[in-house]
Amino acid sequence: MSRHLHAVRDPDAPTAGREGAPADVSSAALDETARWPLTALLGVSLAGLFWWGLFQVLAAIKLHAPGFLAGCPWLTYGRVQPVAWNLLVYGFGIPVGLMVATWITSRLSRTALVGGALIFLGSAVWGGGVLLGVLAIFSGHSTGVEGLEMPGFTVPVLFVGYLLMASPLLMTFFTRRATEVYVSQWYILSAVVVFPWLYLAGALQAVVYPGRGVLPASIASWFVHGVLVCWFGGLALAVALYFLPKLTGRPLPSRNLAVFGFWMLVFFGPLGGMVRRLDGPFPAWMSSLGVASCSLVLVAGYALLVNLAILLRGLGATVRAGTVTAFMAFSAGSFLLWTLLVPLSGFEFLHARTGYTLFAAGLDWLVLWGAFGTAMLGALYYIVPRLLGEDWIRPGWVRLHFGLAVGAVTLLVLSSLLGGWVQGGAINDPSLEYVRVAKRYIPFAATGTLAFLVLWGGALLLVIQLKWMLLRRWLGHCLPKLRGWCAPVDSEVRA
Amino acid sequence: MNQGPLLFLGILASLVVSWSVLVLTPQFQLGDQGMVRLEDTGKDYPASRAGEAAQGEQIYRANGCQYCHSQFVRGPGAGNDLARGWGARRTVSRDYLRETPAMLGSIRFGPDLANIGARDDHTGKLLLKLYDPRAVVAGSPMPRYPYLFEERALGEGEVPAANALRFPEGYRLPEGVDEVVPTRAAEQLVAYLGSLRAEPLFFEVFPPQAPKSEPTAATNAPPSTVTTNVAPAAVTTNTPPSP
Repeated sequence: MSRHLHAVRDPDAPTAGREGAPADVSSAALDETARWPLTALLGVSLAGLFWWGLFQVLAAIKLHAPGFLAGCPWLTYGRVQPVAWNLLVYGFGIPVGLMVATWITSRLSRTALVGGALIFLGSAVWGGGVLLGVLAIFSGHSTGVEGLEMPGFTVPVLFVGYLLMASPLLMTFFTRRATEVYVSQWYILSAVVVFPWLYLAGALQAVVYPGRGVLPASIASWFVHGVLVCWFGGLALAVALYFLPKLTGRPLPSRNLAVFGFWMLVFFGPLGGMVRRLDGPFPAWMSSLGVASCSLVLVAGYALLVNLAILLRGLGATVRAGTVTAFMAFSAGSFLLWTLLVPLSGFEFLHARTGYTLFAAGLDWLVLWGAFGTAMLGALYYIVPRLLGEDWIRPGWVRLHFGLAVGAVTLLVLSSLLGGWVQGGAINDPSLEYVRVAKRYIPFAATGTLAFLVLWGGALLLVIQLKWMLLRRWLGHCLPKLRGWCAPVDSEVRA
Repeated sequence: MNQGPLLFLGILASLVVSWSVLVLTPQFQLGDQGMVRLEDTGKDYPASRAGEAAQGEQIYRANGCQYCHSQFVRGPGAGNDLARGWGARRTVSRDYLRETPAMLGSIRFGPDLANIGARDDHTGKLLLKLYDPRAVVAGSPMPRYPYLFEERALGEGEVPAANALRFPEGYRLPEGVDEVVPTRAAEQLVAYLGSLRAEPLFFEVFPPQAPKSEPTAATNAPPSTVTTNVAPAAVTTNTPPSP
């Protein structure tokens, strides 16, 4: 942890290497090894993103147009909504997080990806598991445990799929050449090893062998909050702390502060799970612990704020000018706001009004899309051209997608938070009939529909451009090779 | 922080702590909760659900009713659930012993259902609401569930089914539909909703208006004066209303 270790500006600049490590390789060579496994992972996650957008828009429409497609049991709100959530978390969030994390690990470790074949297998198994789970929810076989709706038979499939997808990352990390383990790698390691434990413990105890009464609900809250903190928040931080120093050319100001923030987040983050179930039918100490732990995560947020504020001092114009850095800055800002709002909304003066309203959804969107989604989009716009060796065909679309995503997330979070405030006030006024309560929050829910449409449109820009690049790569590299194989050899021509 | 194995162990230890505190400890505290005998009525609480209502719980789960309706009542000081008439007291973990799983819900797009069986105990009205919420509450944002009903045309001289929905005056059925008959699933769902009622008298939670000066209040049993205050006789059973 001595000071000279972070004097390297670019976190993945070539280093001296550990003793006995193989010779250093160029970044291009690292990317070439990772190319097709990570593209497979990206394919799975973008499929998840596409279907998430479709069903999320559908669910949002159903919230304010209750007659829309009402006759089809598969498309009732109570099934489309959990399907959309599961597609976002398991279909998009997990594979895209792994893809970006694996790429960063390979770069930061200065080690070519180990065991890439496992990723192909793993993403197929994982994708199949999510598909099965989603079909089960559609057909009415949801478990009824919020956040773990996919039924028990998908648990082993998803678990094995995850192990296959994630093990190359760990193997690459543990055979690394670089001596220093950079901040981003701590967050990546915590996300990658915490998720399977959380998932296995949560799914086993809430779904497969559920406890009695309210216990599965509290276990699911622990699981969901832990995943939001360690996977969605942690990976957003890993990406932001990797790209911001790299692209601005400044070192991270304090590694010690980063160490402190990291452990505060990893220790107190999952401990705050009951903040999702305040005032519910649970022992009071669980609620208190939830709010207290989330308040301590605020310290982690503060440590991050100090580090980033010093790092980015005077660089406002540079950060805004680069699309990737702008994505990262927005992501870090959203994460900070989330760490502030979660404990704040746990206090009784706010929670008595905003608890169990759209406000809670707004907080989730703040970390899922505000912190994680934007960080991943920014990272993809940097990584994919290097991975495929092809430039973005329409650079203008990249900037357009940034504008759409940031605008949509801001609109979504603001409308949910405000809508929750209004909804909570109306619920707490017993003189209002419930249908009048609904009339007050529905405009905000309708605004959410617009935001989801824009988010989905932005995702389509990315998907279309990526397919275009893959096609061009295929035409440019693979087709000539194929032609070469099919062309008659010289001896045949002469004969 | 440059040692991979140490980092790994530290992360593992953090997670084990949160698991022990948030999963294991509640299991020790609540895991062996069982039914209790209520002194006033001599009945065990919470009694398990009758078959029809237990089937209805699966319909409730399959259609995701919990994504709009919560099933818990917050106590005084946390929101205004009691004033809204959602229950006579807050709900506690023991109320949910028979639930598999407890579908508490996270967002209250619709009203809370923890005590709907005590509040809205009218089978015909609930069925009508499931078929078309707007027929009961004008402007309701609740979706329709036509797939839980059978829409039939009546032939010449055919008499309507006994359990066909009775619509309010002026309600217009779709073209070619003469009667709407609830399926088995709809009736089970309504039986389940009827079974949702937290026992008002319960030694763990006193009703908010319970007089504190009563000398009997020092014991675990609820003071007898409270009985007449809040417990209408019909609410103390847990059996669903016969359809």
